[in-house]
Amino acid sequence: MVAGAWVCLLAPLAGALAIAFAGLRISRRAAGWISTLTTFVAFVGALDAFIRLWSEDASEREHLSTAYTWLAAGDFEVGFEILVDPLSAVMMLVVSGVGGLIVWYSMGYMAGDDEERRYFAYMSLFVFSMLLLVEAGNFLLLLAGWGLVGLASYLLIGFWHKRPEAVAAAKKAFVMNAIGDATFALAAVFLVWQVGTLEYFGVFERVDSLPQTTVNLVALGLLGGAVAKSAQVPLHTWLPDAMEGPTPVSALIHAATMVTAGVYLLVRAHPIFEAAVDVQHLAAILGTITLLLAGLVALVQWDIKRVIAYSTMSQIGYMFLAAGIGAYGLAIFHLMTHAFFKALLFMAAGVVIHHLAGEQDIRRMGGLREVLPRTHIAFLVGTLSLVGIPIFAGFWSKDAILASALEMGGGLGWTLLVAGLVGALLTGAYSFRLYYTVFHGEAAEVEHVPHGPEVVHEATTHAEGPLSMLIPVGILTVLSTVGGLLSIPGVWHPFTHWIGESAETLVEPTTAQEYLTSALAVALGLIGFAVARSAFADERELVTRPEAWRVLEHKLYFDELYDALFYRPAAALATALRTSVEEPVIERSLDEIGSGTIQVGAGVARLQSGLLRTYALAIALAVFVLVVVFVAVR
Amino acid sequence: MSGPGIGWYLIVAAILFGTGALGVMLRRSPLIVLLSLEIMLNAANLTLVAFARQLGSLDGQIFALAVMAVAAAEVAIGLGLIVAMARRGLALDVDQASALRG
Repeated sequence: MVAGAWVCLLAPLAGALAIAFAGLRISRRAAGWISTLTTFVAFVGALDAFIRLWSEDASEREHLSTAYTWLAAGDFEVGFEILVDPLSAVMMLVVSGVGGLIVWYSMGYMAGDDEERRYFAYMSLFVFSMLLLVEAGNFLLLLAGWGLVGLASYLLIGFWHKRPEAVAAAKKAFVMNAIGDATFALAAVFLVWQVGTLEYFGVFERVDSLPQTTVNLVALGLLGGAVAKSAQVPLHTWLPDAMEGPTPVSALIHAATMVTAGVYLLVRAHPIFEAAVDVQHLAAILGTITLLLAGLVALVQWDIKRVIAYSTMSQIGYMFLAAGIGAYGLAIFHLMTHAFFKALLFMAAGVVIHHLAGEQDIRRMGGLREVLPRTHIAFLVGTLSLVGIPIFAGFWSKDAILASALEMGGGLGWTLLVAGLVGALLTGAYSFRLYYTVFHGEAAEVEHVPHGPEVVHEATTHAEGPLSMLIPVGILTVLSTVGGLLSIPGVWHPFTHWIGESAETLVEPTTAQEYLTSALAVALGLIGFAVARSAFADERELVTRPEAWRVLEHKLYFDELYDALFYRPAAALATALRTSVEEPVIERSLDEIGSGTIQVGAGVARLQSGLLRTYALAIALAVFVLVVVFVAVR
Repeated sequence: MSGPGIGWYLIVAAILFGTGALGVMLRRSPLIVLLSLEIMLNAANLTLVAFARQLGSLDGQIFALAVMAVAAAEVAIGLGLIVAMARRGLALDVDQASALRG
């Protein structure tokens, strides 16, 4: 059982180290295969752990395995330990499974890139970090994984390090994530101080006996980390910029796995959040704000990857909403289906970008339905799933979340429900705007010259790319279609019950409520679809008022706001300190010390006359003085 | 013990030392300066030997021998320098050999 989990954790690490140390001795293809195969080995390990867990009695599905004591200081000990329970088993499967498909896809996508080996080493490092994050058996190890995925994300966003935009985006992502890491670390320190342990169960047992303020602060710290990692308002601005990285990276890190780490944290630490209900509701509210805001901004974006990035933020908003009202099983369920269809969308977009030699602007796309028929189907399935059309994966998970909001009721529940429904409308509109612009209409001229960030690869010109790209896309298409059948309202809920063993659901919607919200959400999604379709047919945009367009195009001025609030004051302070302290005080004082020493030296040097007799006289006088003093003092 | 008391020896030594010191300070010929230095060293030797006799200890006499060895070495080096100066045609005047002034 735990053996499988350890294999799952360590295989990608071994892959990363193997590629890093083999260096130029292995071919680029070999590096790709090492990375792909170790990730699939991890998936097999996760599958083994999952099946063994499945066959056990429900009450025993919780295994803590400690490799060794990692840190010890007095009574405080932290082990290098992993926790295998229903929640982490599902996460392991999602991370290694979707991750393996994406790494495989990368082999086709990145073929011919100058630094393929480095790319695959980073990918393996990322998969390892993410598995460490989900398998960690205590908060410190979780924090370690948390930081490592941030690092891997930084390295991969800035993978094309010759492009200044990519480097800037990498730095932005790192700094934004560092804010969250800091609040998370503060929460951990607070726990050590107040509870004296970082073990999950040790903390959860004692969380009820702690003062409310303490619990609130810890929950806020954890929420800060989750918000930064999952690109929720107000720390969301890094995710769209992170699309500067290679497309498989966007699929793996910025859609399928890393950005959902915040949701995982909310579910994993649910006893803390339940003890701090206000903070938990704050998570739901932030998620709801994000899902609306991202849906609005996605309506006007031109970059194919940025539209998908905003839809990612929006969908994670739904997950936060679910985790915030206590529907943990549904949050993880949506996390899983979202991993399927969002990875699918990104990978299909990758095929499009590949085909168009790096073009990312949807204004220069169109009519790709005939040229890329298989990609067209894959993208359509991803879009339908994202919008939540019945039988596709996103339908089952998203609508159940809205039903939970309805069941929760009260002012908050109703607000969340209405916002979620508006979000469904927006999702339908922006998704189909993207779909129609890219795949329908007149074929835009395809120039086979590089103009986007993507490098021209060997396989750019022929239709849909190599098999290593098409097979993962095909598998994900199937998963996005049937992956939602694990939970059908009124029929069965195996998935949510499975997660419920780790984090018991607080709200259980009735079947009638589920059908009601489903009908509403699907209807709104279809309205969105119809709006997008008619707008496309009339060749007009979804947002027609120029003022509204401008506001949305500037992403509601968040970047400008942060620029004015944080960057400018800091830069002004730095300039002021330079002109008022550094230049006049520090730099001048150094000059003065130097010239002063030279002057003193010049003065003293005059004493050294070179006249031997003067020296002799000086010595004699000095001896005389010494003798006089000596005699006098005695 | 016979002969003059320690005081006489010290007076002679002081006179010798003063003569030497004045020579070093007043004369400009390096040769004379070197000679004056020798006189000062010997004044010191005289005091050492005088006190050694006074105290009945051999330490001072042994030390005087060491001073003589140092003086011999100093004369050897000093005379060598003076010869080198003369060979290069430099003026034998300590006031003019002042290239190391600050």
